[in-house]
Amino acid sequence: MKGKVIFITLIVALCFACRNSSTKENEFVFPEADSVPVSEAEKLSPEAIADISKNITSPVEIANLLQTLNVPFNQEYLAGSIDANKQSTSFDKALKLGILGADLGYLNIYERTGSSLDVLTSIRKLADDINVGQFFDFETIKRLSQNKSNLDSLLFLSIDSYSKIDTYLRDNNRGQLSALMIIGVWLEGQYLATQVVKLYPDKKLSDRIGEQKIILNDLLMLINPYCNHDPEYTSLCNDLQNIKDRYRDIRITYTQGEPVSKEKNGGLVVTQTETSNVGMTKEQLNGIVEITKSIRDKLILNK
Amino acid sequence: MNKFLLTLTVLLTAGIMSYGQVTDDLRSECALSAGSNAKFLKDFRIELGKSANNKTVLRYKASISLWKNTKYRFSLCNSQGSGGKLILTIKDNSNRTVLSSYDTNGKTYPFVDFVCNKSGIYNLYFDFYDGHQGAGVGVVSMIR
Repeated sequence: MKGKVIFITLIVALCFACRNSSTKENEFVFPEADSVPVSEAEKLSPEAIADISKNITSPVEIANLLQTLNVPFNQEYLAGSIDANKQSTSFDKALKLGILGADLGYLNIYERTGSSLDVLTSIRKLADDINVGQFFDFETIKRLSQNKSNLDSLLFLSIDSYSKIDTYLRDNNRGQLSALMIIGVWLEGQYLATQVVKLYPDKKLSDRIGEQKIILNDLLMLINPYCNHDPEYTSLCNDLQNIKDRYRDIRITYTQGEPVSKEKNGGLVVTQTETSNVGMTKEQLNGIVEITKSIRDKLILNK
Repeated sequence: MNKFLLTLTVLLTAGIMSYGQVTDDLRSECALSAGSNAKFLKDFRIELGKSANNKTVLRYKASISLWKNTKYRFSLCNSQGSGGKLILTIKDNSNRTVLSSYDTNGKTYPFVDFVCNKSGIYNLYFDFYDGHQGAGVGVVSMIR
């Protein structure tokens, strides 16, 4: 009996030890065209979808940019009106989970961790409701939030929780919820940037908003397979298409250059001399600001 | 006695399972090793075997969006038992190499700072020195 237990356990261990030893040889080429046919999106491999989910701008990056520009924290930017108890469908829950994740990133970067308890509580409720609460380490994140010296761990754990939820949803044929969560994160980050640029019209910030054109196709590809799922999805697809339409005439150009490398403190520092430049008029920026606010405000309304 | 044997077996099993694999501890250690001025963005778990014919180098590929006016740090950490050091190469969307943590003199760097001036989607390629099998983690952070 003892021998059997040991034998079976070792076999299981060896099976796990050998998992994921694989190569990723298939390359995926993002389509250049403005429109993404549904059939194209449906052909996306799980690896390509995983890539896209990693591509979306992190709200932490937007919040960090704002902090670098000395933009003060503003509680009013947060989606405070979201009531986790009033979200009735999985669509609403997953989308709001994404929106609140972006808000959590903003709070963390500005070290307003004392104010994040409400957001954390809502995140836990939404995550539990779509059966992914086990990946959100609420107690540890809450503890770290109360101890400001652990910002590094807090950022790691918060982002890691979302990453695990995303992976779990995709691995368990619930890709539509993963797509909604990612879109929620992106939309809230975009909202934050576009609200701030109205008051602080900094070139770096407006460029970052214009550069979102680069990943808009990816967002649409994520949601496209579900656009005919039900009216909620159809409406969201239309909203994203409307945002994309506002980006149509924005031009991103590039100048060539070779990277410059040097050693420093045991590591390598590589400075890119190639540059990207955004061509966007004030009217185009205003159009993006307006459409983003209108869609985001509509989505956070409690039904 | 039975309990002792069972506990021993479970402990051994856990040890075997974590050896040569990416654990959450390794991921958080690697993220924190980026330094106090670094803010964690994402990580990649790399687990590569040895190729069957010893000629093909197995490689993990992923993509990431990187943004202008941002300084990124790519930290590379090896799991216990890895055959070689983890190497990162980044290429842009024209397939031009932007950086590599392995230089032509054979030196490998544990981290690479990248001052990004061109926003776009980049391809990350992870492999182990000399095509060895191994496990590790690549962490992407922002630094001031």
